[in-house]
Amino acid sequence: MTTLTTTADEETETGIETRSFITRNVQKTILSNGLTVLTKEMHDKPVVATMLWYRVGSRNEELGQTGKSHFLEHMLFKGTDRYKKGEIDLITHLNGGSNNAFTWLDFTAYYFTFASDRWEAALEMEASRMRNTTFVEEEFASEKQVVEEELRIGLDGPWEALENEVWATAFRQHPYHWPTVGWLEDLEAASAADMKAYYDKWYHPRHATLVVAGDFDTSEVHRKTEELFAGIPSGPAIAPLKLIEAPQRGEKRLIVKKQTPVERLLIGFHAPQVAHPDSYALKVVEAILSTGKSSWLYQRLVERDQSVTKADATYHDHIDPSLFYFQAELKPGFTLAEVERATFEEIERLKRGEVSPGDMDKAQRQIEASLVLSSEEPLQQAMLLGQYETIAFGEDVPEDSRGYHYLDTMMERIAAVTTDEIASVAQRYFSEDNRTVGYLIDDTNSPERERDSAT
Amino acid sequence: MRPRLDVERVELPNGLVLLLSENHSIPSISINAIVGVGSRFESDAKAGLASLVGALLDAGTATRTSQQIAETIEAAGGQLGTFGDYQSSGAVVRLLSKDAGLGIDVLSDLLINASFPEDKVRQVVARRTAQIRARLDVPRTQASDVFNEIVFEGSPQHRPAIGYEATVTTLARSDVQEFYQRYYVPQNTMIAIAGDIDKNKVKGIVEATFGKWQRSAEFQPPHVPRPRRQTSPIERFVSAAKEQVNVVVGHLGIERKNPDYYSLLVMDTILGSSPGFTSRIPRILRDEQGLAYSTFSNITSSAGLDPGRFIAYIGTAPENLERAVEGLRGEIVRIVEGGVTPEELETAQLYLTGSFVFHFQRNSQIAEFLLEAETYGLGFDYLEKYPDLIRAVTVEEVGRVTRQYIDPQNLTTVVVGPVEEK
Repeated sequence: MTTLTTTADEETETGIETRSFITRNVQKTILSNGLTVLTKEMHDKPVVATMLWYRVGSRNEELGQTGKSHFLEHMLFKGTDRYKKGEIDLITHLNGGSNNAFTWLDFTAYYFTFASDRWEAALEMEASRMRNTTFVEEEFASEKQVVEEELRIGLDGPWEALENEVWATAFRQHPYHWPTVGWLEDLEAASAADMKAYYDKWYHPRHATLVVAGDFDTSEVHRKTEELFAGIPSGPAIAPLKLIEAPQRGEKRLIVKKQTPVERLLIGFHAPQVAHPDSYALKVVEAILSTGKSSWLYQRLVERDQSVTKADATYHDHIDPSLFYFQAELKPGFTLAEVERATFEEIERLKRGEVSPGDMDKAQRQIEASLVLSSEEPLQQAMLLGQYETIAFGEDVPEDSRGYHYLDTMMERIAAVTTDEIASVAQRYFSEDNRTVGYLIDDTNSPERERDSAT
Repeated sequence: MRPRLDVERVELPNGLVLLLSENHSIPSISINAIVGVGSRFESDAKAGLASLVGALLDAGTATRTSQQIAETIEAAGGQLGTFGDYQSSGAVVRLLSKDAGLGIDVLSDLLINASFPEDKVRQVVARRTAQIRARLDVPRTQASDVFNEIVFEGSPQHRPAIGYEATVTTLARSDVQEFYQRYYVPQNTMIAIAGDIDKNKVKGIVEATFGKWQRSAEFQPPHVPRPRRQTSPIERFVSAAKEQVNVVVGHLGIERKNPDYYSLLVMDTILGSSPGFTSRIPRILRDEQGLAYSTFSNITSSAGLDPGRFIAYIGTAPENLERAVEGLRGEIVRIVEGGVTPEELETAQLYLTGSFVFHFQRNSQIAEFLLEAETYGLGFDYLEKYPDLIRAVTVEEVGRVTRQYIDPQNLTTVVVGPVEEK
């Protein structure tokens, strides 16, 4: 196995330094108003990516007001006191750049990519919309329809209806209960005033991280950042959320009916948060089960049983404990119950310690290589830096892994995972009581649907 | 900003073309081994064959089982994919650069020695049945499939490359082998390798592996029937239990080698293809009217060896259907009749020239560009020429090509969603 526990200057067999190549040359500064600034100079491509991350997502919402974080993200393209509606896109366009934004459970992030001689325009626009977004009523009304259409696209897709139901069932009290896009009924009830209040609560330097990666001079970025952001007040302090989902006491099961030619299975197990000591073994488990055609789920379900077209295991890093989940898309003639059973049998193999040193070695290399293969663009590196700076915080995260330094310790913790640990985390998290099992079944010919269409 | 690529082109004695581009920013490489064959070479009766062959390339070779192929690449942390599409097929691997030799060796094995074991053929055919049905679960795909059936009538492009349940289930191992032997030949193959490589070393490895491949004496690309442009408007409504209606409006498009490609690229940028909401269709239908999350149009993105399609798309709530269709058609009429303004032209030109650099950030993008340049004869100095090709476009030219290639009187309109069939 490649050992990844060498010192920073030595190179491992794979040619990657132990301390992540992604964090190499990263400089972190915190302005007096609390804005965190990460810069990473890379001169091999003539481009610059800028990202502004806010530590606010659907996790910070309340019942009856779900989807606000995401809706707010849309409003940040609708104009500020300095840029009228459409101008942020137009400036991006004229400069040959790109921009976009995304919202998820724990964060909202905005980005621009420009050729390296024009990154200043990106910072100017981000600085302006941090505090000076205008919330014009008619803009709000038309954008509400856009967001509702976005939500409908999800519901018409193959997975979202089932995913929503499984998360809503697994999380009884934690806000991971609702989807980031929100519930349709809450969206319909949302007002521009709600949006403005939410913006005024969260969009301040103290909740934000600016990441700039690419072909620039760090001192110039610092000068420009100081000029644009330092004058913005820090913003009101908000006590950190302490959101705890009580342990699940017993399996939960659910069925979603939809007109679909393909039945689907989704099983979620409660699993720990980012940088939790068990999270690294679970990342290895994810790779063993589901990365590539030699993975356990592919070999079992696609190759041996031939019962599915695809099968995946997924585990993401989040601020709070989330789900480690399994998904499968069935072939005609097979039942959800048999695919569910086969999935559990593979999980039992993990618990019995059937992971071989070869499985471990391969999984660790896959994780390491995929980090390299998905970091070719400055924007991709900025994504990783910003994400971990935003989610890996607080006392529960070991000091050496806080913020973007998470990326420094991640590979060595993954490399240190043993086969015994794989068995023990499988036993700890993949238990019957800890799981929520969702079935998506076809109701094309059900009496209910015929009744519906008759009315 | 004019990006430059250092490209080396080598033709092996067996006719195989090797394209290399070296850069050392990240210790990784992309190897794309592409054969000039796809569903455009298959008959209606065997629809799905090229795609099936592509999917089966890693199902086993003379010396490796499917599992050994996967293990070999994955143990090195690499990612392997194989495919058979409309005009090309092959295998792509992304790896850490130290494993370049391994990647080339495996790809050469797949392209030269694929064995198509009988049980794997049956297994993949059965899986495809489910995948074909699952297309109905993505309404945009369903609308696009219906649209293609109409617009490309008479050409192989009317079919989804994956084929139909009725045809795929009749395909046998002998069909697969015959197709593979006929078209997977070195003189019909290109290999592009981009990233952290030593060009001379890689050249040696390719010669030692792919160089052994025997040139085929019989290779002859078949005649591909061409679609005819429709001469009257066509409307098709397909009922599906969905939240949204998905609308596709358009007609036959252009080939990539069409000299008007660049003027139409500018037109696309103005009408419906720029990111954000600067182009007309997303700006008006989404940003101003709130009709959709996703709406766009283009004619150049599907331009290939054969003519692609001009499409305008919108996904909207059923109650907005009429406004959405009228909106799309209205913008098409407006650009054909009214042309574009000098400001719009300049904005589009600035965008296209300024954003070009972003097409060459990843090794996989560079490898794909090398293949495209070779396929369409763009020249490897294309990066330097491109800004001038775009800047040469005038308001009059955009007007001319819009009138010539976009025909608002003869559009196909497809609607999929909670509507009555018609």
